Amino acid sequence: MKRYPRIIIDYTKCPTPFDCKKCLVTCPQAIFEVFPVKVEKFKETDKKAPGTYQLSTFFIDKCTACEDCLKVCPTGALSINY
Amino acid sequence: MCWMCKAYGEDGKRWFFNPKNHSRQLYTIKRGPKSAYGTDPETLAGLEQRKLTAAKWEDPENFPRLLKEYNERPKEGGCQVVPLQEAIQVAELSYPIAAMMCICRKMFRADEETNPAEYTCTGLGVGMFKWERWPERYRGGVNIMSLEEAKEWLTKMDKKGFVHMIMTFGGSYVGGLCNCDYPDCSQIRTRLDYGLEPALMKGHHFAKVDYDSCNRCGICVQRCQFGAIKFEVTVDRTNIDAFRCFGCGLCETACPRQAIALVDRETVPAMKEEW
Repeated sequence: MKRYPRIIIDYTKCPTPFDCKKCLVTCPQAIFEVFPVKVEKFKETDKKAPGTYQLSTFFIDKCTACEDCLKVCPTGALSINY
Repeated sequence: MCWMCKAYGEDGKRWFFNPKNHSRQLYTIKRGPKSAYGTDPETLAGLEQRKLTAAKWEDPENFPRLLKEYNERPKEGGCQVVPLQEAIQVAELSYPIAAMMCICRKMFRADEETNPAEYTCTGLGVGMFKWERWPERYRGGVNIMSLEEAKEWLTKMDKKGFVHMIMTFGGSYVGGLCNCDYPDCSQIRTRLDYGLEPALMKGHHFAKVDYDSCNRCGICVQRCQFGAIKFEVTVDRTNIDAFRCFGCGLCETACPRQAIALVDRETVPAMKEEW
């Protein structure tokens, strides 16, 4: 059975992923996804407010575990399990 | 005929050329059950893609069964690749036409397109007048264009190397003309990497190379987002795999010698049912 890497995101260290976006831009496989936690009518979500956006590993089965994202993360919120 | 033409086409015309599918009445029809995200069918489709991609990783034994279930159930609404010429014809039928930011690139690359010079997606129809209801969806608004501007805009996107696709939101309402690429487009990606057919339908054409006019410059090879074109070293020529080709026509518009032609899928027996 093929084993997939697992990227663990520490959300307390990653409060504003849409503003930082270093991992999203760096990843050669484009596996990350960032989305607003709550979409409200008539309101644009503030990307600088902590907790409004969340990072997830959408295409994690395409991850090669190259650890490029770990190197660019300024707060050390990411860790990888293989 | 593709399933969308069967269900929503008229007089043998393609479904996106049927004016009924551009009508504002269709815009208000929302399909699908209510979820935590509301009744937005676009979000529901997103949740489905999420379930499928997660299954490949968390539940690999169940993945083929889930994929089969999604591919075989009655299809309603879809997203189809169109070449530049057809994209312009669709724009002629629709009003208003607006440039806006791309939601996929925002999700997967956190790409912020905040002004008209950076916009890459095209929204069609009456929904564009109502963008202010969902500022988070549009982030910075839309840029409403005249038909001439829209034609120029689509040509510019084509030159950049983006695939044009007609988007519907759960029904047959022609609501958008995406300009996308792999891997940042969720539709292209779920179709190519996971095999989810309802995510993206192939276009009505496929590309074919005229070997006599081709001078092997290789421009088309760089433009293909679907991995259909390759340079065949053995016979020293560029070749297109018709089964991998989605008929976006990017290679055709880039070819400096007009050596690539788009062939209608339905004129070739084995390609008829390839969608």
